[in-house]
Amino acid sequence: MKNKVTISNVMLMVIKLLVVIIFIAPFYISVVYAVKSPEETARTGLSFPTNICFENFTRAIEVSNFWGAMKNSIIVTVCSVLILMVVGSMGAYAIARNIKKRRYQFLYYVFLSAIMLPFQVVMMPLYMQMKDMNLLNTRIGLILAICGFQLAYNIFIYVGFIRSIPVELEEAAYIDGAGRFTTFWKIVFPLMKPILSSTLILNALTVWNDFQTSLIIAQKDSVRTIPLTQYFFFGEYNIELNMAFAAFVLAMIPIIILYLIMQKYIISGVMAGAVKG
Amino acid sequence: MKAKTRFTNLGFLLPTLILFCVMVVYPFIKGVRISFTDWDGFSNTYQLVGFDNYIKLFTDPTIIEPIKNSLFYTVVTVIGDNVIGLLIALLLKKDTRINRVIRTCVFMPFIISLVLTGFIWSYIYSDVFYSMFHIKSILGNKNTVMLGICIMAMWRDAGYSMLIYLAGLNGISDTYYEAAKIDGASPFQRFKYITMPLLAPAMTINITLFLGWGLKVFDYAMTVTHGGPGRASETFALYVYNYTFPYNKAGYGQASAIVMMVVVVIITSIVTHLLRKREVDQ
Repeated sequence: MKNKVTISNVMLMVIKLLVVIIFIAPFYISVVYAVKSPEETARTGLSFPTNICFENFTRAIEVSNFWGAMKNSIIVTVCSVLILMVVGSMGAYAIARNIKKRRYQFLYYVFLSAIMLPFQVVMMPLYMQMKDMNLLNTRIGLILAICGFQLAYNIFIYVGFIRSIPVELEEAAYIDGAGRFTTFWKIVFPLMKPILSSTLILNALTVWNDFQTSLIIAQKDSVRTIPLTQYFFFGEYNIELNMAFAAFVLAMIPIIILYLIMQKYIISGVMAGAVKG
Repeated sequence: MKAKTRFTNLGFLLPTLILFCVMVVYPFIKGVRISFTDWDGFSNTYQLVGFDNYIKLFTDPTIIEPIKNSLFYTVVTVIGDNVIGLLIALLLKKDTRINRVIRTCVFMPFIISLVLTGFIWSYIYSDVFYSMFHIKSILGNKNTVMLGICIMAMWRDAGYSMLIYLAGLNGISDTYYEAAKIDGASPFQRFKYITMPLLAPAMTINITLFLGWGLKVFDYAMTVTHGGPGRASETFALYVYNYTFPYNKAGYGQASAIVMMVVVVIITSIVTHLLRKREVDQ
């Protein structure tokens, strides 16, 4: 009996190891190819690298305008998540506290159905509109477009949460003479912290990895984000293998560091966002 | 007083309403209008053509391939991600240190972009697999290209479905299993009569979610295969994009986008309805 248990335990460990290998292998391959010179790759294939060839990275940075793309990605992501947090929570507050009124209920259902909307439906008109507003190929245009499209989902999540906050807390503040805005910022907003942090992370992932919206709004070299830079980088040139992987690794590093540091929040954020369509 | 409340409510709502109307509602309404025109996407003149675009769409023989590709991708990833996610969740159910590390690894692909996933895998298919097994990239073959895309998508997303299932599994009390054990239920019976029914809500979330992503899939086909070889990996979202921008047929592209939306809404509603009904029955 005891022997059988250890055999099944060993089997389980082997399966677990296999799972890890499958999911980690592409990362391992990326790093190995990124740090090897072409000659070493030809000689040693996927074995562990013996020395690091920094030239791949320096060339990838140079050719793909990496720092520019990084700067754009950071600006767009930070601004978008902040706008979504402030605008979304305020809007959701008004809806959640008036949900019994027919007009607000209607509004709520509009946002709910907008979650399902495929981006393709507004793609062309949005492009035209951005052009008319002189926001095409600007970071502001991209930020506003992304925020507008992500808003519905944010409202939906926030409304659900705000409805679980007792109104009595706010009423106490009114009696003390605080206005609606003060009450919201001083009492409701701080209470929303758990949902705000989860949604913030999920929004950040969505914006950081966005491709479709950026493809329509921000094609010009100077405003391209990382995913878009890569799209054009690999579309225009025939990239040498090692340099390509160096570019991949560079793009991965910031988001993976963030993931490892903030893992707990990312996972709870992803769970909270499970309704996203 | 009442007028004032109304006013402050509006104050809270105003930024949301402006942003949402300008970026979503107004373009949406304009889009419906464009779908009834023969507009090419850049000139100043166009004509209203009624339902012509929609009729053309339903009689276009080349639309079948993109529909087939999108549906194939959706079915494979919905099933694949759910099965793989559930199996890994069962494997890593116990909250031990090693399991937590493995969960971190399994979820990691989900945080990188679809664009990056696509490029990494296209190089893995064409260079790494070639040097290891001497097989040509499956993205270069008409018959296997969609499967190749599905594999990279499942690699990226399985960790997500694992997380949802793990949350579901943690919500199942151990007492059920103990009671079943005392009654002599086999591990398979325990799985079938306790785990599966109680995981129904998690399954609903996972299926609805992957269904939505699957029907709208765009990034992989756009970046890595450009819909090729031929049109073997053109998804419906890419079909819409191609007509709207590169082919300069904005009116037709817009009509196909609206059809896409209707199809997504119908399929998602039916499936959600069926899943919810199943949850209640059990």
